[in-house]
Amino acid sequence: MEDLHKTYPGGVEAVRGLWFDVGEGEIFGLLGPNGAGKSTTLGVLTTTVRPTRGHAYVAGHNVRRHPLEVRRSIGVVFQDSVLDNEFTGRENLRLHARLWRMPRHAAEQRIDELLDTMGLADRADHNVRTYSGGMRRRIEIARALLAGPRVIFLDEPTTGLDPAIRDVIWQLIERLRRDEGVTIVLSTHYLEEAEGACDRVAIVDHGLLVAEGRPSDLVDQLGPDLVELRVGADPGRAADALLASGLGSRPPLLRGDLVAMPVRASAEQARARVGMLTSDGLGIRGSTIRRSTLADVFAHLAGAPHHDAEDLSA
Amino acid sequence: MTAASLAIAGVGPLYRRRLAVTTRTLSGIVGQIAMPVLWVLVVAPALDTALGGFDPTIDYYTFVAVGQVAFLVPFTAMFSGLNVIVDKDFGITRELVVAPVAHGAITIANALGVLTIALAQVALIVVLATARGADFHTSLAGLGWFVAATSFLTLSIYGVAEVLALRIGRQEAYGPLIPAVGVTPWFLSGALFPITVLPAGIEQLTVLSPWTHTVAVLRHG
Repeated sequence: MEDLHKTYPGGVEAVRGLWFDVGEGEIFGLLGPNGAGKSTTLGVLTTTVRPTRGHAYVAGHNVRRHPLEVRRSIGVVFQDSVLDNEFTGRENLRLHARLWRMPRHAAEQRIDELLDTMGLADRADHNVRTYSGGMRRRIEIARALLAGPRVIFLDEPTTGLDPAIRDVIWQLIERLRRDEGVTIVLSTHYLEEAEGACDRVAIVDHGLLVAEGRPSDLVDQLGPDLVELRVGADPGRAADALLASGLGSRPPLLRGDLVAMPVRASAEQARARVGMLTSDGLGIRGSTIRRSTLADVFAHLAGAPHHDAEDLSA
Repeated sequence: MTAASLAIAGVGPLYRRRLAVTTRTLSGIVGQIAMPVLWVLVVAPALDTALGGFDPTIDYYTFVAVGQVAFLVPFTAMFSGLNVIVDKDFGITRELVVAPVAHGAITIANALGVLTIALAQVALIVVLATARGADFHTSLAGLGWFVAATSFLTLSIYGVAEVLALRIGRQEAYGPLIPAVGVTPWFLSGALFPITVLPAGIEQLTVLSPWTHTVAVLRHG
């Protein structure tokens, strides 16, 4: 993707110059708060949104010049369930196979194989209206894989699913990469899941790329540890004191009564400084020093100061 | 495979899907059949009894049977616009637009599906009306004009329906347009009575309506 821009009618600039590459066979996560430009970016890559400027290539095809070739190379799992509700799971897969012009015999064989992989063989001939959320998601993933795509796009693949099913879906995604060798590009709000599943991530905010890399590298860049202070009154004063302590180089993040700052000092040093701050009458009610996570990277790069805590944890 | 052949290839499966969606449920089938049956066996005979004597030279039952075609076809076409909204609401449109087919193939397949259903309904009207005594004295060429006019009416009204459905996007807002667009012009098209009996001025206005000319082709082609 090179210098991608998308301005919608009315002047809303959803994407303002995105650059990134995804390697073959990678699981690549696109992260960002609501309205950051993730869906527009996925829309461009799946040829449903026409970029205003810039270039994007999928499986070597230019999305603007050769959209049909791009669509032939991809599978898409949408955020909302997108199934033909009048049909069974198997019939939904068959329609996909016909549209992707798969030979009939090969399609039937592949459909059986995928239904088996997804654990849906016994429900394949039931109407999809009778499927649970997790089953619908699995049949959609099967459909995306059916025609042997080189790239799969998953838009919020686990949103709205319970934790057990989310786990199953992530295991499935990892298995797809391992067994099918496909490149997977996904967007998600579940940062702890992205941290575990993605080889690399891009954090976008306000249509711009704010960070890109391996989740562990991004965490290291932020600071491997994080100090969190719970403050009774005037968290701004505690934040100033924490910044002045010299433990970290980034300004602390304020979320309600919580002040959080990544630190580069050792845990012992940090603990000692925090102990001094606690006795300084800053109203600190409690403190934690823990390992930083991708969610902290996200919060510091894309979460503040214009997004609330709900956005960060959603 | 060229881009063009990929695009055209999508019409077949999408057309079969559209027909399957419409005919999959009992209510879908009954809904498509009930209207022609009701017209031919109940409404048309009643109209014939009530109004048939106004001109002894006209076989009013046959006259109104042709008028039924002009009623049913636009109604079916307008009603099919709801399918576009349902597909959009339930998301399947999104799956179709990322398929390796030209987006125009979706519209063409939908239109062909509606045309197939409309022609089947018209065939049912003709068969039932003939069985009940209508006299469609026609030639092969006349039959060709009849089918062409039916197809023109179906496809043109469906074109309007699809544009309105995509622009409006909500079933509750689209619903009231079905009678407004699909039925109102029918009253002034010469389907129920000759346009010559309309008040002066209105008769001239109906000449501007393509509906009137389509009914004329249906009746005299």
